[in-house]
Amino acid sequence: MTVRKAGVIGIGTMGQGIAEMLASKGLDVYLLDQSEDKLEAGITQIELSLDKQIEKWALTQSEKKQVMNRLHRMNRIDDLAQCEFVIETITEDLEAKKQIFEELDRVCGPEVVLASNTSTLSLTELASVTIRPDRVIGTHFVYPVYKIDLVEIVRGLQTSDETFERTKQFIEVVTNKKGVMVFESPGFVTTRLICLFINEALHVLEEGVASVDDIDSAMRIGYSFQYGPFEMADRFGLDAVLAALERMFREYGELKYRPSIVLKKMVRAGHLGAKSGIGFFKYDKDGDRT
Amino acid sequence: MKVLVINAGSSSLKYQLYNMEDESVLASGRVERIGMDSSILTHEPAGKPEVKSVSEILEHTTAVRRVLDLLTDAKHGVISRVDEIHAIGHRVVHGGESFKQSALVTSEVKAEIRKLFDLAPLHNPAHMMGILAVEENLPDVPQVVVFDTAFHQSMPKQSYLYAIPMVLYRRHKVRRYGFHGTSHAYVSQQAADFLNKPLTSLNMVSCHIGNGASCTAIKEGKSFDTSMGMTPLEGLMMGTRSGDLDPAVVPYVMNKEDLSVSEVNSMLNKHSGLQAISGLSSDMREITDAMNDGDKNAKLAFDMYTYRIRKYIGAYAAAMNGLDTIIFTAGVGENSVVIRKAVCEGLTFLGVELDDARNSERSKETRRISTDNSRITVLVVPTNEELLIARDTYAIIRESSDYN
Repeated sequence: MTVRKAGVIGIGTMGQGIAEMLASKGLDVYLLDQSEDKLEAGITQIELSLDKQIEKWALTQSEKKQVMNRLHRMNRIDDLAQCEFVIETITEDLEAKKQIFEELDRVCGPEVVLASNTSTLSLTELASVTIRPDRVIGTHFVYPVYKIDLVEIVRGLQTSDETFERTKQFIEVVTNKKGVMVFESPGFVTTRLICLFINEALHVLEEGVASVDDIDSAMRIGYSFQYGPFEMADRFGLDAVLAALERMFREYGELKYRPSIVLKKMVRAGHLGAKSGIGFFKYDKDGDRT
Repeated sequence: MKVLVINAGSSSLKYQLYNMEDESVLASGRVERIGMDSSILTHEPAGKPEVKSVSEILEHTTAVRRVLDLLTDAKHGVISRVDEIHAIGHRVVHGGESFKQSALVTSEVKAEIRKLFDLAPLHNPAHMMGILAVEENLPDVPQVVVFDTAFHQSMPKQSYLYAIPMVLYRRHKVRRYGFHGTSHAYVSQQAADFLNKPLTSLNMVSCHIGNGASCTAIKEGKSFDTSMGMTPLEGLMMGTRSGDLDPAVVPYVMNKEDLSVSEVNSMLNKHSGLQAISGLSSDMREITDAMNDGDKNAKLAFDMYTYRIRKYIGAYAAAMNGLDTIIFTAGVGENSVVIRKAVCEGLTFLGVELDDARNSERSKETRRISTDNSRITVLVVPTNEELLIARDTYAIIRESSDYN
């Protein structure tokens, strides 16, 4: 089955990225959020992101118009019944997500794949509220979605092979991204490895081995990372890095996941990285380093 | 014998039905927005009013089905039964090195076109969808593929190779292919007929100036060199394409502006050319109007555009060591009096003498726009790629043993 209509629930940073990417690939995207204001704010952000791409010559005005025309505002979850693939990407609140999956399970036809973009919560638990847990799966996109061609396809305990194959086909053929299969586990592959990398960089900094700038240069130039660990953390959001580390620390109980003290202090000070204008580096409102 | 010509895009399908006895067009039309629930089918039967319908057409097979329904429709149709269509001719953009001429569609031919997807990722897959869609609807009707690149397969190595490591040619087939071949072939034959001289006795440069633009040096009837390269980006300045530039500009700009491969591709293909220089439009008519109103950037865009064409004509005159005929064709080439004038005015040293009155005349016919004394004959030849596809299809079907 080819997917032509996709639903996206929750239009925060990741939801915007996913919706924009799907619409750019020619799909009709049906958007839903808690309130009309949030929906409008999300769509405005998508428009800003498209404008930025026009500045970079990645897009033309008429292409932007086509993308915007493929975004459809919905009011109720029932409106998503026409979609062939639905991705939930609301905040990481288990109870709220459970409610959404319960309703989606009710309104969507049996052949529709229900995916969550969660990076920390248990899919098996989300699936437990549905009558057909075999069609629940995780699709963990990496920020920025339009640029990073990788998706972790996460299998819960009851996710069927058919659901996995359909999702992989959707990810690789429709969105043109590489899909890797991972089994449910805190942090999957990407978040687990990269957060440890950032945390170790913080320890190196704390020990006075090298400066922020030099650690970033060493890893960026030495190992061809696009950003060094500190700028990377700034761009993820230091609060998000902290939350992921804390959760993995809790789940695995291993000391290596214990968040660095420096990280905690910065989050308490509201120095969250690019989004707050200051983290390890300073940023302007477009998120460019100053 | 009736031939249906199809040009399938990823979300569109254009068609023309020819009666090959007199080469008349019985009907033409297009399906747009394939894949959506509001696809538009426009059908123009000869001598009858145009029909337009909006409906859900999700893929090419349905699109072809609808077209066949309309062609045989009691009210809007032009034939009474589908089996009156004897053959289908498809336009295919890229034939690589495999296709030096048009070919009857077989499973080998289809496999070969698939192999060329890499070289024309936007076009060839869509053409294949068109071929398969016809196969579904008309399994017994022979199909022919006509390639935009085929005419240029006569180019010698010195014209088609790039001076980069040969391994790139051997491994990835990186070389000049050229495009608009069907058009260059058609207009050069028309020009020879018009001049009443054998094609093989002439050295010509044909300028296909439309949305995309290319010049071809046609020596003794064969493509000797052409301005487009491995992709349609090389050569002349176009509406939104840059044409020639120093290849070192690409990595330099990518580094300075932190651009990805797809961003720089989009910049050169969609944000350059007339659009970039004028800041106004990619359409030559709008550029000309703005220039006449005194817009400096429009004037600069116009001057750069015509300068490039002149440079190519001069280069090809040297490449062939002689030039008898210059041909202007396609949207801009056939209609823009000022473009032709600007190009020809700088070629007087070659012996081009433009006749202003002839150049200003508007017509749908092949015509001479140089003076009778001009050493080089300058012609305007309306192109007709569909007709050439129909002719090739007709010829191949007649030759093939299946048809009696």
